[in-house]
Amino acid sequence: MISRRALELATAILTGGFGVAVVVQSLDNGIGWSSEGVESGTFPFLTGIIIIAGSLYNLARGIVPAGTLANVPIAITSIELRRLAGLFLPAAIFVAVIPLLGMYVASAVYIFAVLAVPGHQSVLRSAATAAATALALYVVFERMFQVSLPHGALAAALGF
Amino acid sequence: MDNLSELLHGFSIAVTVPHLVLMAVGVLLGILVGVLPGLGAPNGVSLLLPLTFGMQPVSAIILLSSMYWGALFGGSVTSILFNIPGEPSSVATTFDGYPMARDGRPTTALATAFGSAAFGALVGVILITFLASWVAQVALAFGPAEYFAVYFLAFASFVGMGGAAPIKTVVALAIGFSIAAIGIDTVSGSVRLTMGVDELVKGVSFVVAVMGLFGIGELLVAVEEEFHARAVSSKIDWREVFRAVGRLPRHSVALLRSAAIGCWMGITPGGPTAASFMSYGIARRFSRRGRYFGTGEVEGIISPETADHAAGTSALLPMLSLGIPGSATAAVMMGGLMIWGLNPGPMLFVDQKDFVWGLIASMYVGNIVAVALVLLTVPVFAALMRIPFVVIAPLIVIICVVGAYSVSNSYLDVVMMLGFGVVGYLFKKLFYPLAPLVLAIVIGDKAEDAFRQSMLMSKGSLGIFFANKLVTCLIVAGIALLLLPLVLQLTRLRRKPAAPETSAQEKVII
Repeated sequence: MISRRALELATAILTGGFGVAVVVQSLDNGIGWSSEGVESGTFPFLTGIIIIAGSLYNLARGIVPAGTLANVPIAITSIELRRLAGLFLPAAIFVAVIPLLGMYVASAVYIFAVLAVPGHQSVLRSAATAAATALALYVVFERMFQVSLPHGALAAALGF
Repeated sequence: MDNLSELLHGFSIAVTVPHLVLMAVGVLLGILVGVLPGLGAPNGVSLLLPLTFGMQPVSAIILLSSMYWGALFGGSVTSILFNIPGEPSSVATTFDGYPMARDGRPTTALATAFGSAAFGALVGVILITFLASWVAQVALAFGPAEYFAVYFLAFASFVGMGGAAPIKTVVALAIGFSIAAIGIDTVSGSVRLTMGVDELVKGVSFVVAVMGLFGIGELLVAVEEEFHARAVSSKIDWREVFRAVGRLPRHSVALLRSAAIGCWMGITPGGPTAASFMSYGIARRFSRRGRYFGTGEVEGIISPETADHAAGTSALLPMLSLGIPGSATAAVMMGGLMIWGLNPGPMLFVDQKDFVWGLIASMYVGNIVAVALVLLTVPVFAALMRIPFVVIAPLIVIICVVGAYSVSNSYLDVVMMLGFGVVGYLFKKLFYPLAPLVLAIVIGDKAEDAFRQSMLMSKGSLGIFFANKLVTCLIVAGIALLLLPLVLQLTRLRRKPAAPETSAQEKVII
């Protein structure tokens, strides 16, 4: 279970962290006015400051239990969290193995895994859907639009 | 009457067999992405973008804009038949659309929705026909300072009127600006904000952001609730369609009011989602049958639908004539315009007459095509919803991954897309608005350039933003909009101490 407050705080810290990174990086480019006009770090520096200030405000509102936050104590229940993980983790693994397996094999394995392993569909149907997906990707991208999707290190090792 | 002859010329471009076919294809694809939860108009249009590079710009924009109309209509179909909004902007349609369909009147609900949507779109297109070229003419005289002032006004109106918590909107905007700044700085040529990753020199494409924010993000929100596609009958009774449309004029006050709200929210970039919520809220307050809202009231369908489509259509006005998109989808289309080598803004009306008027004429035709196609295909797309979500979700993930990769054949883009997905989920969950974020990514560079050019002209003095009446008015209006939420909160505090502050959309969703 994740409370709305925890989620607000986490997001505010995330955005604030991004703001800090932007400010630190923009200092490298120089801020303020030079002979060539406004220096290139100025604009990102300002937006970074705005992000930090806004995140601090959101952080403060997250800590003080006033207004809306008190009304919704739970943002994500444990069942919802399990569903989220069920969608996101396989997707993240899929993305992670693309450099190794290539887009076609990776997406076929991904589809097969998410359909067959939890038992949503029979093994045969999952395999058929997986094969159809990879084939459709190949036909549409490699053939019709001449966009080469990554073939992966495995395919390269096998000499494709 | 110049506009009318230009429009006629536009029709001669838009009403040709290849363009009509493109419209039909665009509308059908649009309905598809509109119906599928997790894929929306911004994603759909960005997915189609790479396919348009070989086309004439006018054909490409007709395809993309038709997809937009299709998506707007498709979102309403699932809202009404399944109580699942296919698009964020059709959430408000579920409030009365689904109860009416459940009570055994699905045809009435659909026909009312499509009829009022078509009316809203028509008002939007007429507005564009008569106003766009005039606005462009005014804008031709703009210098960098005026441009920056207009950008400022656009962003300020998000904060003041977007309907989300103002500080969250500000944070979303500033993050968008920072992302736009990543890569090579167009003015000085220096490399910025790459965080030590060399590949980031090419910058972050808005397509990658859109795929993640709207695709993966929406999918994650959708997977939380188990879908029970308890479909009501999706058979269309054609006689009832005409009867329902025939009854629409009785609600002309609601129609006109909603269209006006929609156009206003579309031009000042509030976007269709905010427009439909606002229109629904106002209708409930002013209708004599307000207390029946939520049980299948006709005006509860008319108001959000009309405003949704009026806003979606008129969002193209500032995109065409000023180069400032009025919604997330318009921002994606504008990104396309820049990729096709066109410069969105007033010069389009001088240099690219065929493009502009072909597009405007195609909006009239495209919406008619959309209404016809959506009515004909309701049963087909309703059947699509019976495919289990567990099958559709991984397919959408793959579409987003491939879409992000194909932007510039970069694996890093895919990883970033997934990251944007998490951000999109968090933002949606906590009611940070996504449209300003995308808008800032697309036009952040232009706004910054305008600012720096004005500073060069004035040798570093902010006085240039108060140098003449026009620019002063724009800046003051922008500041006023920025302060609007603060003023509202202060007056509310004075009247009723410690009133809980909830944004309009949040209230409805919770």
